[in-house]
Amino acid sequence: MNDKKAAAYRLGLITLIILAVLTAVEFGVAIYLESLVLLFIIALVKAAVIIQNFMHIARLWQEESH
Amino acid sequence: MSTITAKTSHDDVHAPEIPYATQLRSNRLGLWLFLFSELFLFGALFTTRFVLWGNTRPPLSQEIGLLATVILLFSSFFMYRSETAIAYGDQPKFLNNALLAALMGAIFFVMVVVMEWNVFRLSGELFGIELFGHLKPGDGVYGGVFYAMTGMHALHVLSGIVFILIIWWNGRRGAFTPERHWGVEAIAIYWHYVDVVWVFFYPALYLMGKVV
Repeated sequence: MNDKKAAAYRLGLITLIILAVLTAVEFGVAIYLESLVLLFIIALVKAAVIIQNFMHIARLWQEESH
Repeated sequence: MSTITAKTSHDDVHAPEIPYATQLRSNRLGLWLFLFSELFLFGALFTTRFVLWGNTRPPLSQEIGLLATVILLFSSFFMYRSETAIAYGDQPKFLNNALLAALMGAIFFVMVVVMEWNVFRLSGELFGIELFGHLKPGDGVYGGVFYAMTGMHALHVLSGIVFILIIWWNGRRGAFTPERHWGVEAIAIYWHYVDVVWVFFYPALYLMGKVV
């Protein structure tokens, strides 16, 4: 139980770090590369990370309750 | 009329109870379908930006945009912690993190309305960074698209803050348990969805294209 709890909090922190790094990369890409395609790809990756880790989309097809 | 009422109450009494796990699955599906429908609204705004602005963008404060994005990101993080806390029965952590998420959301909202929209027509600088925007809704396609996109998003942020405060208030009265906290999960998903929308709106408004 405690391991699961710690893992859940750790996942939140890792996701935050990934998103922060990607936001910084995004900012750098806009300034130095000005690549619209790359910016769009980064946005897609960020959205996928949030949907997977924060929104728990996998719960939609899981047999479980709270 | 009275016959119908009598029949309805009769059916209610004998209606089989739906297991909570089944209810939960239906609730989740319903919420995701609602969010999918919202995708058309935000998708239309996102597309409008590219049709009308092309590879250009108005001169907006990069600092305000980046700071607002980071604040919304942290708000999402605190909402995640809040949901995790109630799932493991940690009531104080659930309440504190929900409040932090709402506070961060409120800061984001104020940054958009007071600083970027500059509704009070203020001016000022901090370390050479301009704190208040100049773009008005009537400034052609740039003003129109910018206010439509940020306005629709801000409306969702505002409703999200109200929802978070409702679950916080109900949580204080012990309305949620580790076994039953669909309300918290639903608001958390909604709040993260608002963040996902901003993930696309931020580069579209602030980063993509050449400044006119």
